[in-house]
Amino acid sequence: MLEASSLAKFYGERLVFKGVSLRLEAGRTLMVVGANGAGKTTLLRVLAGLSRPSAGSVRSGVERGRMAYLGHQTFIYPDATASENLRFWTGLYGRDLDDAALQDALERVGLRRFAQERAGAFSRGMAQRLNLARVFCIGPSLLFLDEPDTGLDVASTAMLHDRVEALRRDGAAVAWVSHHLARDLAKADDVLFLDKGRAAYLGPASGFDASDLSGAECAC
Amino acid sequence: MLGPALRIAAKDLRLSLRGAQGLAQTALLGLLIIFVFSLSRKPGELVPALAASAIFWLSTLFSQVLVFNGLYALEENNGARMGLAMAPIAPQAVWLGKALAGFLLVLCCQAVFAVAVAAFLGQDAAGSLALGLGSVLVVDVGLAALGSFMGALASGKGARESLLTVVFFPLIIPVLLAGIRLLEGVILGGDGPSLEWMGIAAAFAAVFSAAALILFPYLYTGEE
Repeated sequence: MLEASSLAKFYGERLVFKGVSLRLEAGRTLMVVGANGAGKTTLLRVLAGLSRPSAGSVRSGVERGRMAYLGHQTFIYPDATASENLRFWTGLYGRDLDDAALQDALERVGLRRFAQERAGAFSRGMAQRLNLARVFCIGPSLLFLDEPDTGLDVASTAMLHDRVEALRRDGAAVAWVSHHLARDLAKADDVLFLDKGRAAYLGPASGFDASDLSGAECAC
Repeated sequence: MLGPALRIAAKDLRLSLRGAQGLAQTALLGLLIIFVFSLSRKPGELVPALAASAIFWLSTLFSQVLVFNGLYALEENNGARMGLAMAPIAPQAVWLGKALAGFLLVLCCQAVFAVAVAAFLGQDAAGSLALGLGSVLVVDVGLAALGSFMGALASGKGARESLLTVVFFPLIIPVLLAGIRLLEGVILGGDGPSLEWMGIAAAFAAVFSAAALILFPYLYTGEE
């Protein structure tokens, strides 16, 4: 589904990572872990095609309309309402929502009664839930998650995890950057541990020793 | 490409007109320029048609810079640019959508400027109004093509915004001259060199539209 070989990324002279190769199969979750500044977000952006690698290549068997990215950025337009935001983004993916589908999508993330409110007035958690609605309307086969639960309350985090698990069961591949390793490791099939600009571990989650993270450093 | 471009244009127009602060400020800047120039004429004196035309287009240019900076700034909130880069659309749809929205917003400003030029600079159109409107539209297409391209170049990069004016104004000279000459012809009436200047404006629009279609995907990406 997604294959990356010998990826490297430099910002000017500064190495972010190099020599990273991986495969991501349908229905599997790859958790990307590492210290702050290890290059996890940069790697995810390279895999998603949002950033060009300095070396190496990424090949994906998934068409662009079936990929989704859920990260710190919520992609919302503050001066547009929740409905307008959702209609715009799903429309770009060729999924025109009628009123019932729109209300249903907002209901699933608990935002139905805020449908006509400006998204700029939303809290961080509400904005991220609107972002979630966008992703789930797309119905991705390849999902990139970059600490997606930042700013979400316990109930919203549980909903996010349930929906991601449902997508994975339906055959979606998930690349997931997480800082909550103790909580999220159980959801991973494979782990990629970035340390000092290299892939220090890439293999089954069951074989990963989370204590390795305590001595991890960034490549900077 | 047209469908996504229309979606982007519709969204941009809705957001730009909502509250209308951005558009009102843009129109006010142009009005101020026309008003300041009007102070230089003595009471009862007519501003030459060429000067009045130049003032109209100068106001349009400053408005245009604000309009396109504003349109691209919409995507810098909350990573929307990254969302557009991820979406299954041709990158050029963003350029075209912004160009369409900018074209219409600038046209709204020009409607106000035209009244102001008549009122403050004492101008009247002796020539064909249809030719005048046609001239403005052709020149505006070129301005929108380049404006949308340059807006993308400057988006989200503070240092590049100052560079925008340095690069944008020299590039715009051919279509600006065409606009000035065409509008002068409309104000004075009679047979002027309209077709030649119209041809220059149309060629400008074609060249910069083609350049934008080729270069835009390299310019507007999800890179931060």
